[in-house]
Amino acid sequence: MQFELPCNTAVTQGLHHGLVDKQTEFVLRTIEERDIRFVRLWFTDVLGTLKSVAIAPAELEGAFSEGIGFDGSAIEGFARVYESDMLAKPDPETFSILPWRGEENSVARMFCDIQLPDGSPSWADPRHVLTRALSKAADKGFTFYTHPEIEFFLFKNQPEKGQQPVPVDEVGYFDHSPSGVGYDFRRQAITMLESMGISVEFSHHEGAPGQQEIDLRYADALTTADNIMTFRVVMKEVALAQGVYASFMPKPFSQYPGSGMHTHLSLFEGDRNAFYEAGADYQLSKTGRQFIAGLLKHAPEITAVTNQWVNSYKRLSGGGEAPSFICWGHNNRSALIRVPMYKPTKGNSTRIEFRSLDSACNPYLSFALMLAAGMKGIEEGYELPPGSEDDVWSLSEPERTALGIAPLPQSLGDAIKVMEKSELVAETLGEHVFDFFLRNKRAEWEEYRSQVTAYELDKYLPVL
Amino acid sequence: MSEARGSTQLARLARMGFANTQACQDTLDASPALDAKLEFIKDSPDPDASLVALAKVIASGGLDIDSLGEEKFRDLATLLGSSVAITEHLERHTSHINYALETTDVPTAAQMLSDLLKAISTLGWDEALLALRVAYRRQVSAIAAVDLRAGNESTAILPGIAQALSDLADAVIASALVIARSNVKDDDKVRMAVIAMGKCGARELNYVSDVDVMFVVEPASGASDQEAITIGSEIAKAVMQACSAVTSEGTIWDVDAALRPEGKSGALVRTLDSYLDYYHRWAQTWEYQALLKARPMAGDFDLGNDFVAAVSPLIWQASSRPNFVDDVQAMRERVTDLLPAKDADRELKLGRGGLRDVEFAVQLLQMVHGRTDELVRNPNTLLALEQLATWGYVGREDAATLDAAYRFLRTLEHRIQLYRMRRTHIMPTDETDQRRLGRSMGFSLDPVADLTKEWKKHAREVRRIHEKLFYRPLLQAVAKLDSNDSKLSADDARSRLKALGYVDPDSALRHLESLTSGVTRRAVIQRTLLPVMLEWFAATPDPDAGLLGFRRVSEALGTTPWYLRLLRDESATAQRLAIILGSSRYATDLLLKSPDAVNFLATEESLMPKSEKELLDEALATAERYDDPAEAVLALRAMRRRELFKISASDILGLTEIETVGNQLAVVATATISGTLSAIVSHTPNAPKFSIIAMGRYGGGELSYGSDADVMFVYGDVDDSTYPNAPEQAAQAAHAIANELRTLLMAPSTDPELAIDADLRPEGKSGPLVRSLDSFAAYYQNWSSGWETQALLRAKPVAGDEALSKEFISLIDPIRYKSDGLPESELREIRRLKARMESERLPRGIDPGLHTKLGPGGLSDIEWLVQVKQLEHGFKLPEITNPETMPALRQEVVSGLISQSDFVQLESAWKLVMRVRNASMLVRGRATDTVPTDLIELSRVSHLLGYGLRGGQQLTDEYRRLTRRSRSVIKREFYGEVETS
Repeated sequence: MQFELPCNTAVTQGLHHGLVDKQTEFVLRTIEERDIRFVRLWFTDVLGTLKSVAIAPAELEGAFSEGIGFDGSAIEGFARVYESDMLAKPDPETFSILPWRGEENSVARMFCDIQLPDGSPSWADPRHVLTRALSKAADKGFTFYTHPEIEFFLFKNQPEKGQQPVPVDEVGYFDHSPSGVGYDFRRQAITMLESMGISVEFSHHEGAPGQQEIDLRYADALTTADNIMTFRVVMKEVALAQGVYASFMPKPFSQYPGSGMHTHLSLFEGDRNAFYEAGADYQLSKTGRQFIAGLLKHAPEITAVTNQWVNSYKRLSGGGEAPSFICWGHNNRSALIRVPMYKPTKGNSTRIEFRSLDSACNPYLSFALMLAAGMKGIEEGYELPPGSEDDVWSLSEPERTALGIAPLPQSLGDAIKVMEKSELVAETLGEHVFDFFLRNKRAEWEEYRSQVTAYELDKYLPVL
Repeated sequence: MSEARGSTQLARLARMGFANTQACQDTLDASPALDAKLEFIKDSPDPDASLVALAKVIASGGLDIDSLGEEKFRDLATLLGSSVAITEHLERHTSHINYALETTDVPTAAQMLSDLLKAISTLGWDEALLALRVAYRRQVSAIAAVDLRAGNESTAILPGIAQALSDLADAVIASALVIARSNVKDDDKVRMAVIAMGKCGARELNYVSDVDVMFVVEPASGASDQEAITIGSEIAKAVMQACSAVTSEGTIWDVDAALRPEGKSGALVRTLDSYLDYYHRWAQTWEYQALLKARPMAGDFDLGNDFVAAVSPLIWQASSRPNFVDDVQAMRERVTDLLPAKDADRELKLGRGGLRDVEFAVQLLQMVHGRTDELVRNPNTLLALEQLATWGYVGREDAATLDAAYRFLRTLEHRIQLYRMRRTHIMPTDETDQRRLGRSMGFSLDPVADLTKEWKKHAREVRRIHEKLFYRPLLQAVAKLDSNDSKLSADDARSRLKALGYVDPDSALRHLESLTSGVTRRAVIQRTLLPVMLEWFAATPDPDAGLLGFRRVSEALGTTPWYLRLLRDESATAQRLAIILGSSRYATDLLLKSPDAVNFLATEESLMPKSEKELLDEALATAERYDDPAEAVLALRAMRRRELFKISASDILGLTEIETVGNQLAVVATATISGTLSAIVSHTPNAPKFSIIAMGRYGGGELSYGSDADVMFVYGDVDDSTYPNAPEQAAQAAHAIANELRTLLMAPSTDPELAIDADLRPEGKSGPLVRSLDSFAAYYQNWSSGWETQALLRAKPVAGDEALSKEFISLIDPIRYKSDGLPESELREIRRLKARMESERLPRGIDPGLHTKLGPGGLSDIEWLVQVKQLEHGFKLPEITNPETMPALRQEVVSGLISQSDFVQLESAWKLVMRVRNASMLVRGRATDTVPTDLIELSRVSHLLGYGLRGGQQLTDEYRRLTRRSRSVIKREFYGEVETS
């Protein structure tokens, strides 16, 4: 009898790939071939500000295996909890060349995970907060996809302190202005985004003067959050190159709508859209209904994160399409959650639109909380309250009460108070980020409360 | 037929080994031709069954027995006597008998594939499934015939049999794929490869086993990814159905795709990119380990090879992932935890020492060393074992022993499964079954006893597999003995130690060398003991410290005859020792002061600290035995060290509840202090009556390892006849007693000091150290401040004159439990004091949230709440007047002062905070008031508390969560904050 097993030949072939995986190898090779001079390692602090460390290509291999050490105490929310430096470890999957740095001596970037020296992920890292929420959902078999519609303003130049910002144009919603700054801007911005592998679904001029909207293609939530961080940088860079200024401030003008980031959400179980059920109302499955119910129920608790600035609440109180009431509807643009028209050919396109989020949020923390709120609805089997097709803004308060429609927190101060009591938020963010975020926001609110505003001077000085 | 002849015939049958002779005779009467063949039937594992089966086959006319030669007849009898399932098949398909008997060597993969494909060609779904089953059984019968013909050589050909069964599985899946494709619309739009995983992937399949697979798809030209996935899923489902469906020809086996990404909830088929994306981003260590066995088995082999080529580099990177060591430990625990208790001792596969453990251990070793040495990469267990031995990663003898054991257990498992073709790996209990198995394994004299003996022998060897595979080669690496065996190089030994969790492999190797060098009996015992000890150290938070501690204990106890004997003969003792040395610097230090305390580790009972009374008696007797109080106190402190070791050791081993630990520590402090006081007083002429009152956490019986003992000293009044200048002299004498007590208990010594803290006395540090009862009375009447009243809540006499102690308590009771409770103004004052303490007493530069005593929701928060309730209601509710925080809190719940839900928050916070305090002390050997912020200390504390070595941030998170919740109770119930909705 013969007893001779062929060795797993492919395994042996794998050897010649050495010990680095394909993507890492690709990154190292590209850096060589494209003559890249610097690699920026990006990560995000707890407030959603992008942080960057530049390293020379020679240091990259070390960065992949060991990470780049830094003192976390200087970064918002990374306070030195443990007596050691933190490590930024690049994720090779996020490698991309920065297009605005030109073809020669180019610069590339990668997002990093923040780790402690023992290799465990830092619980202060917003990217890890999201990863943790995603893997909790993955344990239940779900993948979370998001698709943001990002609004922002273009101003003629960076406004001086105390000056009113001047928008680059005076046109409105969907207006086509072939010679306008906005048009050129969007064209160049989209080209750059696409060259960085970020697909753009849609772009147009928004309602207010100078206001733009660019919609990113749907992707898993971690990729989307990375893309939003990149997006903000790209917009700022392109604006700079064109001599204008891009801002994601939620509400720069009292008289015009603010910049939101309506985000479409869907859950997949394997390759199947878990929100879809043929024949159900709006083709919305039980899972989808429970997810919405969870988001509605916990919306007040997560608002301090989804709308994290004093200014965010000016947008929410703006009437019109500002979603400041906790309800949902099929095609209701005043509701917090909208279930968009279902496209019969695309069962996988069933999704819901969460509308309170603004463009200046920390996308990692916001997505983590939105997911956690929705998942809570699924886990606890929440009942979805009836939808509302009314324009909620035009209802009287007693009418809203009768319909069971409550408002979102109306100021950062209110939002903090609700968040403080939220076990859901504490658990999802982790106690460290939860605690830091609350302390930071309380301080912001305290600082704001003591301000005397132009409004007060205009209104009271003449008469009092 | 005459009676006489009949009985002779029955006796003949009985002599030949037939069991039911009358039934056999009846069969022979019906098929007389068989009588002449009895010689060839009698050696079958189950001659009775063989005989009946043969008779049936002959009766059906499907077989001409006279055409069979002697050998073939024997083989047939053996086959029929080994498997009811095969017998049933052959009875229905008698033409397969000749095929089985004429198969001399197992059929090749190609033969089986073409045979199966031919059988199903052009058939519709239902017919094809039937044909596939019949063709499959025909091949299984042939393989079994070859297997059984080998008799007691079966273990030698086991690998070939397992390979043939895997080849047959490949052929089945390939055929099922053909059937599936012809039943799925648009199947040509998708390329599909089926990847074999698990045992089939390793070409070591059993007779009956789930076949583990994964499906990879790619769109054929012109199709989309989405189409490929949709159609591919249908094909995959059909493949699984074609194999598992139950038909009139039975089933084949279940196809299990649960090893795929995301397991049962994941997509059944994925594209190559989708697999890679998953493995890059999400995969766990065990998934890489599973990929070790991946190979293309059917379908599009180009695609299958691409898949394996793309994933295999990942396998070898897995062992350099930062959490590899943890994952490996977790995986090993999971494997051994799965042990089904009921059948544990009859299990061949699962549990410690089962076949699974061998496979698993061999895979792990490959992952550790395969990273740098491609010579040891092989998915097949036996081949990998052989290669590991060839290149010195495992000792040759150990490898040979394990090889023999694995072959034996696998062959036995095959025989058990073969009988009814059922997926089982449990040794049957029935004696008839055991007899058949024994005979089929070649034990003919006393099949049951011999089989059992052989099985136990191999199982014993396998049970020590980790010792053999992982640890023993490490000793060979440091051994100076010359041997022809290639041995583990120092570099490999280092990387193995690292993979097993040793941080400083160089020192570890030095310790091993020192412990095992030489030819003394000690060194010899150490060489057998150490592989096991190394394994146990590896499971502790600090294996390096464990090994170093073990070296030091072993050196200290060097020639003590009982030491090594105890460890060698009582493995539970050795394991306890390993856990303690690798977990706790505190307990290790205590042990090294007096290494013979190893004795206490002999049993859980010997580890139990003495009872309060026993210990007090011992302390007082000790005090009496010495003329010099200083000598007496040295003995008392040694007694205390002994008890501290027992308390800390049982705590580390998880034998004690956290509240009990605090009580035990207080009891030891009390015995030590009582003994000391007694020794001093008995040598003080004209000593005044003297009592020691425990205060603070000592009074509350909730000491931590590092706590000081808070006390107050009180002495009684004396009459003028003893002291001419009574008040002054008595005061001097009392001061002398208190001072000597503190000096002796805190004097430098090899034994830990017992710090006596009297700062809670009236006027604190500026007040007199000792007061007379009258002085206390006068003070409390005129001066006592709020905090002093509050401190008195935990006053509890612990040593000295009983009558005096009683008087003291009667003195303070009206002060601490006032009839009018706690006036609003005083409550406000207490709250303010507490708030000020929080902002002032917390040390600068630390995170207040992590301060165990003063941090929000920490110990002092909870204690103050309990105490405020006592001050308010203690007079009316004597049941809540308990100095112990948790018992008092429970009574306050019973009395309705605290709600049940608040209690849950407070209790869970209090317990975790206390556990963190104690664990930090146990780990560091030094007390601290914060959750460790040093990462290494934190990881050890979290390991000790059950969060795992890398669970530090999780522990911190949990700590913050529980204290945050307890703080919200405190804000409402202590500070009186009104909650806004």
